Amino acid sequence: MKDPYVVLGISKTATQDEIRKAYHNLAKKFHPDLNPGNKDAEIKFKDVSLAYERIGSEEERAKYDRGETPEQQQKQPDEQARERTFRRRRGPFYHETQDDGGRYSYSFAKDMGEDFFKSFFHTDDRSRYQNEKSSTDEYYQMSVDFKDAVLGAEREITFPNGKRLQVKIPPGIESGTKLRFKNQGGAGIGDLPPGDAYIEITVRPLARFNRVGNNIETEVAVSFIEALLGAEIKIPTIDGSVMLKIPSGVSTGSRLRVRGKGVAFGSSSKENGDQIVIIKVVLPKKIDPELEKTVREWGGKFSYNPREEP
Amino acid sequence: MRKNKKQPLIEAAREIGLSPDVIIRFISFRWIIPIDYPLQILDEEDIARARLIWELQHEFGVNDESIPIILNLIDQLHTYKKELKKLSR
Repeated sequence: MKDPYVVLGISKTATQDEIRKAYHNLAKKFHPDLNPGNKDAEIKFKDVSLAYERIGSEEERAKYDRGETPEQQQKQPDEQARERTFRRRRGPFYHETQDDGGRYSYSFAKDMGEDFFKSFFHTDDRSRYQNEKSSTDEYYQMSVDFKDAVLGAEREITFPNGKRLQVKIPPGIESGTKLRFKNQGGAGIGDLPPGDAYIEITVRPLARFNRVGNNIETEVAVSFIEALLGAEIKIPTIDGSVMLKIPSGVSTGSRLRVRGKGVAFGSSSKENGDQIVIIKVVLPKKIDPELEKTVREWGGKFSYNPREEP
Repeated sequence: MRKNKKQPLIEAAREIGLSPDVIIRFISFRWIIPIDYPLQILDEEDIARARLIWELQHEFGVNDESIPIILNLIDQLHTYKKELKKLSR
């Protein structure tokens, strides 16, 4: 069994801090991802890691110094101990995931341009690229205003690499919809076409406007006089204000329809969804004594029970 | 060819003993771009890269500013190695 003090190149009297520094220096030097394909470096990295596991903490170091580790007692060969340590490290090293051509290496290649390797290596042997995958699809997220999602819009977006793209947001789009832009993703290696760009849409909520299917619901406050007598009032819609006729006798919760002011679908507003206006009858904050007197007199003559089943 | 295991971010984080927040931070810096970004699904490549970044930071003392430089150099290395392998076939 290799002496961990020798492996880490330190004396038996080294402090824990000195042990940690020695480990970090050697791990940096031999890390397999910094020495891809170098088997010697990998074995050394494992030896260094095993040595640090043995004496990296005061508790483990004391056990080792007393000769109490399982390896010392069972005389387990280094090879077994090394592999036992690395079974705990689940999954491959990063460089092992790149051996068959990783996505991240492709990302780098695309940044260099399609013809980079051909010019660098003076080759145009296309057949060598035929079996390579072009998994260079890119995914982005974009937030759009409620109004743009309902009516549709055109927006310019800038990708992290500086590339700009005009994005047509179709009317009626909903959160979670992914727009695909063919060949707008990362460049394919060699002669392969670029990947696609996917943009996932998130619709920002808009206060007082609530989309339900293709309709848009809004709540509108009316006075009890307007509710009683009927009125024509100005209400907001997704594309400006319109006048709405309130029939006499509406109550809180009454629903009035404004045709064509919902989610846009076609060129004609006839094909659109509707805006559903939900009435909320609001009494004045202060009840005028004269009003109260009048209503009391009226109530005596024309009382009705709103809790009666129709 | 290695079987490429894919798993949700939380499970991937658990597998390599990191907090999901750490991986989310790596993603926000675009050091990792999950194989399925909208669904936050990571494959072996993403997971191995996350672990490498963590080791660079915590075992080698690399700071945030240097991580993308190192990753880029590593990606370059793999790309050149692969191209050389193709040429030697």
